[in-house]
Amino acid sequence: MSTIDRLSLVQWLSPAFPVGGYAYSHGLEQSIARGDVSDADSFACWLRSILTHGAGRSDAILLCCALRGDNVADEARAFCPSSERWVETIDQGRAFLAVTNSLYGEARAPAALPVAVGLVAQCLSLSGAEVAAIYLHSFASNLVSAAVRFVPLGQTAGQAVLNTLHPMLVTLAEEAEHATVDQIGTSVFGADLAAMEHEVMDVRVFRT
Amino acid sequence: MFDNPVRSDLQRVRGRATVGLSSKGLKTLHQSGSAKALLPRVQGTPEVVFLNTAGGVTGGDDLSYALALAPDTEALATTQTAERIYRSTGDTGSVTVKLEVGARSVLSWVPQETIVFDGAALTRRTEVDLAPFAAFLMSEMIVLGRQAMGETVRFSNVRDARVIRRDGQVIYRDTQRIHDDVLADGDNPALLDGARALGLIGFFAEAAPLHTDALRAILAHHPVRSGVSGWDGRVMIRLLAEDAFQLRRAVVACVEMLRGAPMPRVWQM
Repeated sequence: MSTIDRLSLVQWLSPAFPVGGYAYSHGLEQSIARGDVSDADSFACWLRSILTHGAGRSDAILLCCALRGDNVADEARAFCPSSERWVETIDQGRAFLAVTNSLYGEARAPAALPVAVGLVAQCLSLSGAEVAAIYLHSFASNLVSAAVRFVPLGQTAGQAVLNTLHPMLVTLAEEAEHATVDQIGTSVFGADLAAMEHEVMDVRVFRT
Repeated sequence: MFDNPVRSDLQRVRGRATVGLSSKGLKTLHQSGSAKALLPRVQGTPEVVFLNTAGGVTGGDDLSYALALAPDTEALATTQTAERIYRSTGDTGSVTVKLEVGARSVLSWVPQETIVFDGAALTRRTEVDLAPFAAFLMSEMIVLGRQAMGETVRFSNVRDARVIRRDGQVIYRDTQRIHDDVLADGDNPALLDGARALGLIGFFAEAAPLHTDALRAILAHHPVRSGVSGWDGRVMIRLLAEDAFQLRRAVVACVEMLRGAPMPRVWQM
């Protein structure tokens, strides 16, 4: 069963699943415009920061909490630091549940994306660490794709960044598995500010 | 005057100050240990000034401040001076702030800056409970190191958490962590971006998002990195500055605009 479960999870978190992830850059578009991200090295540094000190770690913890049945729907909304971050997680969560509700005949209420994934993944025989690792991989992969198009980076250079992050994704997911909401904390002061600055960019391709 | 503390580990500071206000004035006041609450005589909005008579916080200290506003009450609460978080020899200092804002009441919580010394360890938890139609303004500033002494903070374990509930439902949470690995990478534009002073302002009220553009216009004139965002009954401001003075000026401009009143006297520079 676990191989079939794993396929379901990969399906939900693949770029082909219609949550519209390609429209969100998590503030990367603004960080590129500021010159903070300009090549593979600076992009890797930005992405590592987001994963370990920002939404990567926070989302992994929220997902694992939801997966094991903690009610963290309000908390996930409350942790959004700005309007576009709110849009990013709420709209994708709503789109995700619209599809899974239809696929599985469920009627789940809208929730932020990590909570939505955690709730639906309750039916899988997979550990929180595994679900969170694949969620983080999907999150990182989406941002790699944005960076390849808009920094721009070579396709291979972008994949090399993602490849080097694999051990970190596993560690983050394993640490998140038994963490509680009170252990969420962030240090991405500059990236959170960039997400706010993105709201007033003159020309924007991404929604965030 | 408190810059060179000589205190043994055994002298742990304890303090608790609790204030209750209604529209008719002071309802309750409890003070113990090194936490005090002053109620200066002022024109207009009543003020509560919390004070730590120990002059700072070090590892193992435990301070708590609480303020409850009855329905239909307006007040401003602040601190007498900047709070210094000294080097810890192991234990973590604890500061707890509990604020309750009654129905249709308005509370501004605008403490002065928290100065984090090299080697500081602090857990601060600010919990706010808003009744229906209550409005709440908060500002917080964290300054890394004593700038007059050119101090660079290389080690710290700071965890600054805020939880805001309205009618019992969590509506805002954020926990800022400033740990050694973040300080070691201090110029990382996704993290501290070279800043020595960090500010966070939040205003929670039905019409709060309407202030977004005006706040952006004010901050455009300040030499700090700033972001303003309004949504879902709140406007949030984040600030990164090279030093405490620039940060303070930006915070004062935003808070004065949102309150439509000058800062309390203890804030005068």
